[in-house]
Amino acid sequence: MVEKVLSMKKKHRIAVAWAQDTNTIGAINLSVRNGLVDAIMIGTPEKISEVCNNNGIDPGIFTITGCENEALASETAVQMVKTGDADIIMKGLVGTDIFLKAVMDKNKGLMQPDAVLSYVGVIEIPEYSKLLFVTDPAVIPYPGLKQKIAMTAYAIEMARKFGIWNPKVALIGASEKGSSHFLYSSDYAEIKSMGAMGKFGKCIIDGPLDLYLACDRKSNEIKGVSTPVAGDADILLFPSLEACNPFYKSLMLFSHGELGGLIMGTDKPVVLMSRSESEKSKYYCIALACLMD
Amino acid sequence: MVLKSLNDLRNIVAGGPKKKLVVAAAQDQHSMGAIVRAWKDNVIEPVLVGDKESILNISAENNYDITGVSIVNEPDIEMATQLAVRMVNNHQGDILMKGKVGTSILLKCVLNREWGLRTGNMLSHFALFEVDTYHKVIAVTDVAMNISPNLQDKIAIINNSVGCLVKLGYHMPKVAILGAVEMVNENMEATLHAALLSKMNQRDQIKDCIIDGPLAFDNAVSLESAKHKGIRSEVAGDTDLLLMPDIEVGNVLYKSLVFFAKAKVAAVILGARVPIVLTSRSDSEQAKFDSILLAAAASR
Repeated sequence: MVEKVLSMKKKHRIAVAWAQDTNTIGAINLSVRNGLVDAIMIGTPEKISEVCNNNGIDPGIFTITGCENEALASETAVQMVKTGDADIIMKGLVGTDIFLKAVMDKNKGLMQPDAVLSYVGVIEIPEYSKLLFVTDPAVIPYPGLKQKIAMTAYAIEMARKFGIWNPKVALIGASEKGSSHFLYSSDYAEIKSMGAMGKFGKCIIDGPLDLYLACDRKSNEIKGVSTPVAGDADILLFPSLEACNPFYKSLMLFSHGELGGLIMGTDKPVVLMSRSESEKSKYYCIALACLMD
Repeated sequence: MVLKSLNDLRNIVAGGPKKKLVVAAAQDQHSMGAIVRAWKDNVIEPVLVGDKESILNISAENNYDITGVSIVNEPDIEMATQLAVRMVNNHQGDILMKGKVGTSILLKCVLNREWGLRTGNMLSHFALFEVDTYHKVIAVTDVAMNISPNLQDKIAIINNSVGCLVKLGYHMPKVAILGAVEMVNENMEATLHAALLSKMNQRDQIKDCIIDGPLAFDNAVSLESAKHKGIRSEVAGDTDLLLMPDIEVGNVLYKSLVFFAKAKVAAVILGARVPIVLTSRSDSEQAKFDSILLAAAASR
């Protein structure tokens, strides 16, 4: 992915809100040094310099913009993208709620009118032959039909950026059987038929499917279920944040997965990651934002 | 004591009296291999209830030598299941195992009020996972039985699981109540349940364990993640038992651990008079064997 971005030969400008923790500055440093981005760090200049010095990073490679507090830093970052002074914004050591408030502000924010704000994660796992796009591990707790449709479209959009022209989308459930016990069943039926009508462009959609039918080629034989996704899914759509979030994290912690991910539904790419995510994961997210810009 | 690997279950079983495993409709080539292996390894003493002719055929085809194993001939699947359950009810078995019978038929028999295996407790699924990326075995419940448990159900599920862990030798196991976030959020019922369960544990309404929640998956299993977020918790990063909010979450996590994390898994149904081994066709023979081992360890 990183190579793909570098081959675009366009340097993106990233505005980082409250850029004063080691993980964030480390990831930005890596991105600047590798030629992905130019960075505008918004925060307390003394603190930024201090973190840089403690980690042997030259603060001179960043543009530093002074700012008093987290909320103002978030608003300033959003403003910079609005005015064209930056292409991408990223959350630093700000609480997610404060940061998203600035992003979602009706007048000054970055939302497309009437858009659904959601999150698409990209995972590379040793046990899977290709990248897996997953939604939504971070933003919408219980997506309704409208949101599920938007999530499907976002994930497909992202997959296309990676050159996957006919992505296979698995709508994930606890079992492949439709059931009134599972509230997602009717939404899934709707999305499936929209897919068949070509509403999402070229793609293959099936569900509900359990994780084995979605990702394990052998399970189709064992279960005797025939699905066009056939254990070869590119995209997994989850019925809830509750299901997607632990799945996503289990891949990172137990399955040696490398993660990236992006907020979708905004005018310009927004990088938002958990504070606890590693420098490397943050670096991948920045690369992903460049790719989506 | 905590389990470091599923192999540790052998030490628990070793030396004790051999447990009687009653198999309902044993003419099942997907489970026979594991049963024969557990028998040869002196883990259990099988009683195969089912179609004798098919049982012998399957054994012959797969070169299983079952000379000396007791077989109760009952060709009809439903009758065989009923017979197997009645035997356990009559104290002629320590573990019940599903063979070539549908889960719903088996459970109907188990729940029969006259001759079934009811205890008044709820039935729940309990699974142990061994992954090389966690420092010990982690138990997960309920990933297969209860679709969307309410608060009372969750208490019953925790009690079943903690009871089992104590039988395996655990003292005050650490229980994490899983949420998508570690903050209590009034719009997410699972986090409200988690807060209540934690408080009920502090007040000794739920005993013999240490409960904390809500914990997001990373905080439950990684001390580093918990520290990063400033979470103070005895359970964070050192979870023995992970309670799922519902089956949608549990099912995906179970399959993710097995498929992507290459976990070894053992599972039983708890809450009946004896542990029930109820594996599915897609489980590996090793998983079936380990499940029998777990049931034997849990039936002490």
